[in-house]
Amino acid sequence: MSITYLEAIRLAQQRALAEDPRVFIYGQDIGAFGGAFKATKNLAKEFPGRVLDAPISEDAIVGLAIGAAVEGMRPIVEMQFADFSTCGLNQIVNQAATLYYRTGTPCPLVVRLPSGGTPGGGPFHSQSMESLYAHYPGLVVMTPATVEDVYTMLLEAVALDDPVIFCEHKFLYYHLKAEKLPEEALPFGKARITRPGRDATVVAYSAMVHEALAAAEELSQDGYDIEVVDLRTVKPIDTDTILASVARTGRLLVVSEDWPWGGVAAEVIARVAAEGFGLLDAPPQRLNARETPVPYHPALWGTHRPTASSVANSLRQLLEL
Amino acid sequence: MPLLPIIMPQLGESIAEATIVSAAFSVGDRVEADTDLLEVETNKAVMGVTAPCGGILKELSAVIGESYAVGATLGYLEISEEDAERLGLNDAPPVPVEQPKKKQNSGGDTSKAEKKTVKPTVSGLPVPAHAGGATFLSPRMKARMAELGLHAADLAGVAGSGAGGRVTIDDLERFLQDLERNTISPASSMRVAVADAMRRSWTRPLATVVLPVQLDILLAHRKQQTVKAGPALYALRALSIALSEMPATAGRLIGDRVIHPRSVDIGFAVEAEDGVLVPVIRHADQFPLVDLVERYNRLVELARARRLPGSDTGGSIATITNYGVFGLTMATPIPLPEQSLLLGIGAGKITPSWDAEKKAFVPVTEAQFTLSFDHRVLDGGAAGRLLQRVSQLLGTPEKL
Amino acid sequence: MTKGSSPVQTISSQALGNGRNGTGRVTKEIARRAFRTMLEARILEEKLAALYRSGKIVGGVFLGRGQEALSVALGVHLRRGDIYAPLIRDQAGRLAFGDTILDTLRTYLGSSLGSMRGRDGNIHRGRPSEGYHAMISHLGAMVSTVCGGLVAKRFRGETGAVGATCIGDGGTSTGSFHEGMNMAAVEKLPMVVVVANNQFSYSTPNDRQFACGDLLTRAAGYGITGRRAIGNDLIDCLEVIGEAVAAARAGEGPQLVVADLLRLVGHSEQDDASYIPAALKESPLGRDCLDIAEDQLLENEWVTDTELSSWRAAVKAEVEETVGKVLREPAPDPAEEDWNAFSVVGRNLSGEDEE
Repeated sequence: MSITYLEAIRLAQQRALAEDPRVFIYGQDIGAFGGAFKATKNLAKEFPGRVLDAPISEDAIVGLAIGAAVEGMRPIVEMQFADFSTCGLNQIVNQAATLYYRTGTPCPLVVRLPSGGTPGGGPFHSQSMESLYAHYPGLVVMTPATVEDVYTMLLEAVALDDPVIFCEHKFLYYHLKAEKLPEEALPFGKARITRPGRDATVVAYSAMVHEALAAAEELSQDGYDIEVVDLRTVKPIDTDTILASVARTGRLLVVSEDWPWGGVAAEVIARVAAEGFGLLDAPPQRLNARETPVPYHPALWGTHRPTASSVANSLRQLLEL
Repeated sequence: MPLLPIIMPQLGESIAEATIVSAAFSVGDRVEADTDLLEVETNKAVMGVTAPCGGILKELSAVIGESYAVGATLGYLEISEEDAERLGLNDAPPVPVEQPKKKQNSGGDTSKAEKKTVKPTVSGLPVPAHAGGATFLSPRMKARMAELGLHAADLAGVAGSGAGGRVTIDDLERFLQDLERNTISPASSMRVAVADAMRRSWTRPLATVVLPVQLDILLAHRKQQTVKAGPALYALRALSIALSEMPATAGRLIGDRVIHPRSVDIGFAVEAEDGVLVPVIRHADQFPLVDLVERYNRLVELARARRLPGSDTGGSIATITNYGVFGLTMATPIPLPEQSLLLGIGAGKITPSWDAEKKAFVPVTEAQFTLSFDHRVLDGGAAGRLLQRVSQLLGTPEKL
Repeated sequence: MTKGSSPVQTISSQALGNGRNGTGRVTKEIARRAFRTMLEARILEEKLAALYRSGKIVGGVFLGRGQEALSVALGVHLRRGDIYAPLIRDQAGRLAFGDTILDTLRTYLGSSLGSMRGRDGNIHRGRPSEGYHAMISHLGAMVSTVCGGLVAKRFRGETGAVGATCIGDGGTSTGSFHEGMNMAAVEKLPMVVVVANNQFSYSTPNDRQFACGDLLTRAAGYGITGRRAIGNDLIDCLEVIGEAVAAARAGEGPQLVVADLLRLVGHSEQDDASYIPAALKESPLGRDCLDIAEDQLLENEWVTDTELSSWRAAVKAEVEETVGKVLREPAPDPAEEDWNAFSVVGRNLSGEDEE
């Protein structure tokens, strides 16, 4: 048996629905149709009345989830594309994120964002929104990079009492496969050292972990030993694991598919500069998507986002600093 | 045979990189010491990159027309064991040995590999001269050095293997490990204090001017006195008068302002157990020499006994050091970090001097007086005039 | 419009009528309770304004003067287990739903003992876990939140509960309001949405706010029942909203109640409302709902003058006493503040990291 990243998302939701009567799924085209990406395929049939088609009203979709969460439910909202979540931004950042702090009432909901670029996706079907949501206090932001993580972390997201922005990468939907689903997972919020090394640390998450691993492999041909840290959850951020890695290597490159301004990469670098300045042998570097909307044509898109080869180039420069 | 890296030199301040114009030799050629290997061009001039010693050009990775950062390795010279020893190559084995090995794996074509990896970290921005070696310390290096209580000067003997000849953390650890083979004793606190003062002082551009001073009149005057002052005290008194006439020469330059002295307090160096103490005669310009003798002698005693009260040290504007007592005729000592002037006295020697009246050489007692100074505050001319004035005052000791 | 019952009129069957079916018939008890609560709201808010002008309250004070009858009419028809998301001018409705003078003052004065603990203030208060939602400033946002609470109850098989929220004429222009109304209609939720059409959203008159002439026509667009109430007439409000709540509770789907009235104060206490024309203030719309209600209760002999005086005295005394108490309560201490917006997580990593 071989399970894709997408199938793992479906299976996690199936398990959540089966094990917890408080769980329901709400979003556009997710019922009988099974979702734009088929992440809820057959779930409406298997769990009648609990996988509901929603009108094209992202604001009200999230608002409904908030109201239900307040009443003790565990809603999972599927945004058709992460990009459309801006239409529900107000409810997410002003109501869901502030609710516990303001009132003491938890708001346990999950907003699934099919994120990141795919060839031909273009400006409005390719965005990575983790930095935007991570900016707001009160939101957990998960960015799983593996089939195993997307499964265990989605279950973890449903179990959490806080609103979770679950950034699942569309490019990984079919590209990543695993033999079986894991029984155990890393503790919540822990980063993973995906590849140990001693010459430089690459901090990445989501699809960029795989670009970083490929770059590390390339650099190993040159005799360099690159450490790759997968953040898994960008908020809360596991600063300890990042600092421990930089303490080993003295050099840091952060790779993110999001735009550079005020992003996760900037945050990681700020933390390392502030808390681990004495660990650094070179100025910490970041590699982000380029500062334009995500372009449509695959040739442009392939250069817009960081790739194994641009990560390797950045690493070479970093190693020379 | 050892390999000596051919390094892109620092070809002037604010130069970060230079372009290769031509190569005078090919791989395999025999190269004599001090001949130009490469011609390089900066935005200021065309210059040569020179072989520091003779050897065989083993590798030339620099490509004509390409630019390389200061400190970049342009090739390797195979040199004799002897030269390697002399150039300190053995102190830092990783430089020629490990670095190329690491990178040669990358793809065979060394020129290409080199081109790919050697990139200026900042291009177009002026970087200070001496950006390489131990003068650039990464935060990690600084943290480790702070932990060990080390200063940049302690790393002067380490050849860096990092980018631009930077000393890496590995270089440091190897260096420290290597030290363990030597006999090691703790430095006295006095030694550490002197080291600190000298290190701080040395951050300034210091210079020294020299003047021979005839001492016969002074020595004759001294002979007649019941309470005898030493030559250093004569010099101290003379300097204090000279400085009271031109106090700005003892000023300090802080930012764009000259800080003038508040009073003519002059210190003098006293050697005391593994170091030097500097007692101070306050307002030395306001007391005749004869009144200073007892004070001077008492301060010398206190200093030697290392019982100098805080009020009798510090705050002086210049210092006298009589290195003549060690038989030295001339020296360029370093002023204290908070002072701009240091007057040094060499050993007196009887030398022939042409007497125009007698039309004959006559024996005179002469000593070299040196004035070491902060070149930011005064120039050679001003320093010379001050020294001349001291010499002149010493010629009329009865007025001191 | 007359009091009493008339056949139910939904927008689809009879345009813009005053839908009545008699289920909202007003009893003495409910009228007395409503009026007493209006009195509390009015006296409390007058005190809030005074506290604001004496510098005891920071931020803003938003009063419901002139809207108490409409607000209370919704509050008194709700019960424990219902969901209520009041808006800016709903002090009366809040008190009727179970909020207290004490917690109102604590929230406005920033007492650390209040339900919001100084983290939010004034009208932004509630106890969401008890069905009393705490509004955010973004108008229209609470409509879908109430939908969610009702969907949760449906999932759990709880029947008979109603969800209710209020909004002003300006708030109906938001996308959020429209999305929420449409969603409530699609899900056929037992929901009552009361629009207090007080003619101005802050300073903007209705002719710059919407062009549909009558907001009640919107009900037809959503496919839900629309009802009209006279906003400053307590008995009418009680009847119309009573019927709307009963209909929603009976499973007849969302109910939109639109009531015309006039805000008798500025948007906030910093606003002198100079933009409201004198003619409008002197029109029937400008009559104070508290005066109308008092006349109605006396006319029906549901209350005596003596009772009214004693109520007034009692409420005044309670408000004064509570103000004195709350002013002595501790302000939130920044050093003691949790400074953590997460309920559970975040703590895992920041403090007691087990690795």
